[in-house]
Amino acid sequence: MSEKPESYEAAVERLEQIIDRLDSGQAGLRETLELCREGRELVTYCSAELDAVSEGLEELKLDDLAARLESQPEAD
Amino acid sequence: MHELPGPFPVGRYARKLQEELRRRARVRLVGEVTGVSRSKVQAYFELRDSEGAVPCAIWLDDLEKAGLPEGGLRDGAEVVIGGGPDYYPGGAQASPSFAFRATQVRLAGEGDLLARLEALRKQLRAEGLFELQKQLARPRLPQTIGVVTAERGAARRDLLAGLRRRGWAGTIVWAFAPVQDRRAAPAIGAAIQELAAAPAVEAIVVTRGGGSLADLWAFCDETLCRTVAMLRVPVISAVGHERDSTLIDDVAAVACSTPTHAAEAAVPLDCLAARTTLTRAAAALQRVGEGAVEARSRHLVALARGPARALRRERAALNQKTREVRAASERGLSERRAFQRRLASVVLVRAARRAAGAEAQRRREALRRAEVAFRAHEPERTLERGYALAEDAAGEPVSSAAGARAAGRVRLRFADGRVGAKIEQDGSEG
Repeated sequence: MSEKPESYEAAVERLEQIIDRLDSGQAGLRETLELCREGRELVTYCSAELDAVSEGLEELKLDDLAARLESQPEAD
Repeated sequence: MHELPGPFPVGRYARKLQEELRRRARVRLVGEVTGVSRSKVQAYFELRDSEGAVPCAIWLDDLEKAGLPEGGLRDGAEVVIGGGPDYYPGGAQASPSFAFRATQVRLAGEGDLLARLEALRKQLRAEGLFELQKQLARPRLPQTIGVVTAERGAARRDLLAGLRRRGWAGTIVWAFAPVQDRRAAPAIGAAIQELAAAPAVEAIVVTRGGGSLADLWAFCDETLCRTVAMLRVPVISAVGHERDSTLIDDVAAVACSTPTHAAEAAVPLDCLAARTTLTRAAAALQRVGEGAVEARSRHLVALARGPARALRRERAALNQKTREVRAASERGLSERRAFQRRLASVVLVRAARRAAGAEAQRRREALRRAEVAFRAHEPERTLERGYALAEDAAGEPVSSAAGARAAGRVRLRFADGRVGAKIEQDGSEG
């Protein structure tokens, strides 16, 4: 299982590499299947990232954000 | 103490100080007015910028002569004053005080501000503060962006429209702040810092509509611009219109000419286009993934089919040969049978010829009928239909099971020949 991409742009960059490699036709069967699996995971990740900014604009005021942060325990 | 001159009476010293200061060169100063107050004859204020301040005083007569617009000398106004330092020695009752005695005052014009801006710009650039923000990584698809702007302004609406056009609908954290006058710069600075302190905020947009340089002066504030420069979150500035250039534009990660452009800079990814690209990538992967297996499995199947096909070919050839051989032997058989039939006919015809006359004719006729009947009963006919005739060693037909058992061995006569057969005594009686 590959790691979660560090960002959308990193995921897209890797995805482009994968597609270039597949397009080159130089990957063997095992590598092709591996790349396809990784590519599908990246697509899923990117798609989720896009979904996260597609489901409706949320507007907060700075005070709302502060209140929200205070009500949550520190994550790290 | 002993080596210093004096002691002198302080009143005399105070007047000396006044004289000294009044001799200093008269100059013009530019800065922001704060803390305006008035007595019956004078107006007092501080003139300050980010580096320091000087207490000032102006006779109301001089102020009137300056012809400032109504309320011109107010907190936050950028002004140019002319005059020189002065010292009021005080008196028996009155307190002494130092002030820059302004005799002229006017509102700072574009030229004054531009000159100040240039000086600040030069300084901040020399300190390398223009580069810091530009080195920060900007996320292409932030989930949360902070926006500092006026609560009621076209900039807010334009920014939202720009984000919508991007297909972006994440989270916006609004930090509303005054965007003009002397309260603006500290409020904007505080808002930016608070936004940057929230871990979710990935980029900050600072925006306001156009105006004169004086209107936009808050965005040239040195303290604000230093704050922005040192921030670890990228700031996108969109202050004023295209031709307006404020100091915050220089220190920000990206300077945009309009709020719409700021939306594009804050969310570099066109979400709608990205969705299309992603769908295409997914389809390509699907195609390649399946295709790779299919193409290879087709090849494998082709390879695996190879021997089977060869076998099938061989078998077909074999069958064809078998058919040919069978056909050839059947041909031989039927030729032999035809010969036998011809022979039988000759014998019968000869016999018929031996009978002469009418009787001979009658006999011939009878013989011909007999021949037909004979041919109908010829064992060959039956054998050709698949029956077999059992014969004993002497060639006599064996027509019963008992006979067969008694004979022990028989010969089975088929249409195409005879084969020997052994009767098994323990066979079924039924």
